[in-house]
Amino acid sequence: MSKKQQPSVDPVIIVMFGVVFLAVAIAMIAFQPSSNSINIAANSGIMSQLVVAFVTGITTGGLSCLAVQGGLLASSLAHQIEQDYVEHAAKHKKVKNAPRTNSALPIFLFLVAKLVAYTLMGALLGWLGSFLTLSPTTRAILMIAIGIFMVGNALRMFNVHPIFRYFSVEPPKFITRYIRRTAKGTDTATPIFLGLLTIFIPCGVTQAMMATALGTGSAMMGAALMFAFTLGTSPVFFIIAYLATELGAKLEKFFMRFVAVVVLILGLVTLDGGLNLMGSPFSLQNMTRGWFAPQAQVNAAADVPQLVTAADGELVLTVGNNGYSPALLKAPAGKDLTLNLVTNKTYSCARDFVIPDLNYYELLPDTGTVQVTIPAQEAGSTLFFTCSMGMYTGQIVFE
Amino acid sequence: MIKKTFKIPDMSCTNCAMKIESLEDDLDGVQEINASYHKLEMVIEYDESKLSDDEIVAAVKKKGYTAVTA
Repeated sequence: MSKKQQPSVDPVIIVMFGVVFLAVAIAMIAFQPSSNSINIAANSGIMSQLVVAFVTGITTGGLSCLAVQGGLLASSLAHQIEQDYVEHAAKHKKVKNAPRTNSALPIFLFLVAKLVAYTLMGALLGWLGSFLTLSPTTRAILMIAIGIFMVGNALRMFNVHPIFRYFSVEPPKFITRYIRRTAKGTDTATPIFLGLLTIFIPCGVTQAMMATALGTGSAMMGAALMFAFTLGTSPVFFIIAYLATELGAKLEKFFMRFVAVVVLILGLVTLDGGLNLMGSPFSLQNMTRGWFAPQAQVNAAADVPQLVTAADGELVLTVGNNGYSPALLKAPAGKDLTLNLVTNKTYSCARDFVIPDLNYYELLPDTGTVQVTIPAQEAGSTLFFTCSMGMYTGQIVFE
Repeated sequence: MIKKTFKIPDMSCTNCAMKIESLEDDLDGVQEINASYHKLEMVIEYDESKLSDDEIVAAVKKKGYTAVTA
């Protein structure tokens, strides 16, 4: 056995895990309910937004990012690393004793490039945001387009029809050629380039975060927000991509199927979010709310009714970190109403409150009450409300 | 110089096209390669006095793909 063999654990992995643990520790300290840091977060809109961005990244963003960009790019990366491994093995007859390819490094480079690209994009979006803002309708259209893109990609991965190959983005030839010829060798250039390219195929959650960065109206804040979010997405991306490269070709195929299923599900979820944001009654949540409401009412705690009727023209809606309560309200038709939106240490996207049909959009304070005047509605009509990401929804039925 | 199209049915992503295009630097006599994952093909412009079809097919195979004359 050669003493010159590589250590069994890549130094890059140790560094990466260090970064991950540090990031998780920061997030845990920030979210410790009894600590002062939450008060700091509560008092500082900037800090709480950054923590929310990071946590969104490490949870939904990581998986969503992995689904879209993982399917498009990390798998290509994995394929490249896999092939490098095969090429290396072919050059050395003693395959069993061949040193393991440092597959962590390309993934690490990919993620660093992605982090840099998104931070710069955040700065650009924040700067642009000082000139323009995205309306909920524009966001809805974007989400629907991205949802279609994701579903198309999933169908491409399933090899459903050749037409779905057009859902993948081919980088311009002059760029690939330039990078190849200047960097000489694809080992480091390709992961970096692919990492930079991810800005052209943002996943649904990333897109929503980009919209949030745009909404900050500040280059610094936009950059910080996108940095926090992208850093949050990195651990899931790194671990899965690393495992995928180490699992070998057979399991990689299985992994691709798994990614395709996740992409399909997330694509449909993003599409549904877009429909929610448009106030469409045909979104899954809006169509099925009626089915589950009676059951929810039975199970609900006494102080949190699921169905509220506004007899006096006043409605109260609690905006929590997990959505709106009650999600189904009833109100008398033909008279103006006041909707009281109550937040209490609410940091989730539920704060970004939208009533699409009224073209109403408001970023609520994390703690407080905001009143919305709802003009008289016809009997039998329904007003849908949602968060700006189309994740949390509810409706007011007029009788 | 001649221009020829090869079908590459086993490309699975856009990065495959990028890898195939890197043959531009590996093969002597190649002027330009345009590979497309969308079309599952590559268009290669090369000097036929320096390079044969078989050599191209073999080079593509070395990259892990199958090239078939279109």
